[in-house]
Amino acid sequence: MNLSPQDFTAIWLSMKIAISATALSLPFGFTTAWLMVFRNFRGKVLLEVLVNLPLTLPPVVIGYFLLLFFGRNGWGGTLLKTAGIEFIFTWKAAVVASATVGFPLLVRSIRLGMESIDRQLLQASRSLGAPWYDTLATVVLPLSFRGMIAGSSLMFARSLGEFGATIIVAGNIPGVTQTIPLAIYDYASSPTGTSMALSLCAVSVTLSVAILLLHEVIGKKLEIRRSE
Amino acid sequence: MKLDLDIEKRLGSFSLRMKTDLSGERIGIFGASGSGKSTLVHTIAGLTAPDSGEIHLDGTCLFSSRKRINIAPEQRRIAIVFQQAMLFPHLGVKANLLYGYRRSRPENRKVNPEALIEVLNLQDLLNRGVNNLSGGEKQRVALGRAVLANPRLLSMDEPLSALDDSLRYQIIPYLKSVSEEFRIPYLFISHSLSEMQLMADQVLVMTNGNLTIKSTPDDLARAGMARSPRGYLNMLRLGNALFRDGLYHYPWGSGALIVSDGKTDGESLFELSSRDIILFKKNPEAISARNMLECRVADMFDSDGRKGVVLESGGSTLVAEIVRSASVELGIAPGSTMFAAVKASAFRRLG
Amino acid sequence: MKTTRHVMQRFVIALFALMMTTPPAMAGQLNISAAASLKEAINEIADKYTAKHAGTTFVKNYGASGAIAGQIENGAPADIFISASTEWMDYLKNKSLVDRSSQKPFAYNALVFAGTTTKKVSGMKDLAGLDKIAIGSPKSVPAGEYAMEAMKKSGIDRQLTAKLVMAKDVRECLTYAEMGEVDGAFVYRTDALQAKKARILFVVPEKLHTRVVYPMALTVTGSKNAEAKSFIAWLQSGEAKSVLKKYGFELK
Repeated sequence: MNLSPQDFTAIWLSMKIAISATALSLPFGFTTAWLMVFRNFRGKVLLEVLVNLPLTLPPVVIGYFLLLFFGRNGWGGTLLKTAGIEFIFTWKAAVVASATVGFPLLVRSIRLGMESIDRQLLQASRSLGAPWYDTLATVVLPLSFRGMIAGSSLMFARSLGEFGATIIVAGNIPGVTQTIPLAIYDYASSPTGTSMALSLCAVSVTLSVAILLLHEVIGKKLEIRRSE
Repeated sequence: MKLDLDIEKRLGSFSLRMKTDLSGERIGIFGASGSGKSTLVHTIAGLTAPDSGEIHLDGTCLFSSRKRINIAPEQRRIAIVFQQAMLFPHLGVKANLLYGYRRSRPENRKVNPEALIEVLNLQDLLNRGVNNLSGGEKQRVALGRAVLANPRLLSMDEPLSALDDSLRYQIIPYLKSVSEEFRIPYLFISHSLSEMQLMADQVLVMTNGNLTIKSTPDDLARAGMARSPRGYLNMLRLGNALFRDGLYHYPWGSGALIVSDGKTDGESLFELSSRDIILFKKNPEAISARNMLECRVADMFDSDGRKGVVLESGGSTLVAEIVRSASVELGIAPGSTMFAAVKASAFRRLG
Repeated sequence: MKTTRHVMQRFVIALFALMMTTPPAMAGQLNISAAASLKEAINEIADKYTAKHAGTTFVKNYGASGAIAGQIENGAPADIFISASTEWMDYLKNKSLVDRSSQKPFAYNALVFAGTTTKKVSGMKDLAGLDKIAIGSPKSVPAGEYAMEAMKKSGIDRQLTAKLVMAKDVRECLTYAEMGEVDGAFVYRTDALQAKKARILFVVPEKLHTRVVYPMALTVTGSKNAEAKSFIAWLQSGEAKSVLKKYGFELK
């Protein structure tokens, strides 16, 4: 294994960005899933299409749209500029890129979990005196944990591998936005960099395996607690 | 409890239409599946809104399409016991029980948790999770949870249908005692007439979304006697049995009922079909049936070509079913003395 | 039925065979792999050559010199290789993939710092005050290596970590500068001259980095190709040199 200090920075950045993207997306993902499963409203189909769009679009296209929106001439960009916040080519952009690409995966998992909640449980909760937000917090949320964990793991893993959107909207900046995939790309462009690239690839695989294992373990723990 | 209903609701091709005023503490709603019972309960509880109409409970307007009032379910204080218990799987027994209690207003809390836990025999279950409880245990917890929410009205939507027979009749005493002890009126929904006979004072019969009959369980049972596959079922709560010669002797009326499948300890509920009672004008003396009861005919009624004979002995009654010609032949009339023969094995112990 | 199955089998085999064969190199086709900064110059020079030698067509491949060297190493077809630094020519020489005897310098260039920023930038020391600077990834882009050399020699390289945006070749650098995504980029003077919005903020002093030279050579395959030999000779002609001059390249 052959890792330079810059590589360790890339690994650390990857983790930081993946965790941030997942944390940022969870509340939105939960709310979106809840809207799609338990509420009916006009334009629901449009929401579904919008949420699933990043799954089918090439990541570079997503990156480009983000660039258009958050760049100096976009709505988001001018808004952020007045607030004095820099966005393009910073780690924040990398977080948003990962969050956007991973969002459909997160929502999908949470939805699946929510759909398996018996509606009568919610009726029971209401009839026992809990208003809708109380029911949401004390019944829907706890029963969605499994879906949320599954979705988070997927999102985290996707984030670790995110390249196309990231390189467009966050650039390949060592120490700032150069995540593992971007670092590997950098090495791979050079014929002398293959062994370094392989080392980083090995790290990437190890991280993914670790996350998947963790996901299984947590899932089992939740299962055991339920059946006591 | 006073419940005034005047509602209409359409669900696809089914439509529910009900206009009635109910008052009482133990009201049953009877009907086949699809007759609209659950929809009715849901609208009363506020879980779905009727298309139009009014609902008033004890003088408070819960729903009025005209005045645009629709009180949210959490404010109606109508707790539901579901067919499938519906305990919160992520909470333990204690947390389930206290879910509604914690959300009730202190001034409304007239049910004492400790007292309820005792009445329902839940002490040993308190620290357990809900997913490995038996069907009966789950329903008791569900009942406890609903009652602890201190509701104005308890709606029990086929709470016993998912349980097997022996369990069903063990839970009924709990249902009744809880309601009596804590003075909470209930609506009891079921498709079983026997359950109605045990649980309700009045019955509303629903057919295809409409209220067709308003009666008492007993009258309903009597009216349906001839059509029912097992006739009129006499529900007998018997206790203090003496075990003699392989049979159980339960005190009943002015004498005793001799039963083969009995218990010496505690009370048991027995079912005796009206068709298993044979009437004699004179005591036959030598007869294989162990029960020979001398009774007075208190009343008679018609049921689709059959005759129901209400026999009375020492204050207790039994209904026997005979064909019309037999009643004419034997000259049975109210006031006459009859001898009723019943085999010891004819009593079916329910719980 | 039997005959249709037969026809289908024949068809599949033919399709397979077609897919397996590579088209033979057309007579008169030359594969040129050159540094990204040479794009317009080589295009024009090649056109001029074709005007004179009608039978020759060119397949051109531009990119970062390091990336191209890697491609050639992995078997990508190339008759002539023109790198933006001696490093990558030496790399292929050590792998015996180029004909040493044919190596000659093709052109020279100057390294500049260009951008659209309104901040005051007149020399290397002013770079520390900028937010983001684009450079070609030093692992494979000579322009980036020259830039890193200059940063180290002027002692500002430490201050600039976390400001450097890696580009895959010098043209991508220029694009970043043009779009304003970065304050400025290290590009060649010839690239900056093509810019529409970015302007040269300062020229990197020559003493801070090795001379920018473009060595060219025939690959081992190219050395067996008479047309390739003819073309590489032509690249040293007066006509070729005047095109280079037009685009701002230095000739010595």
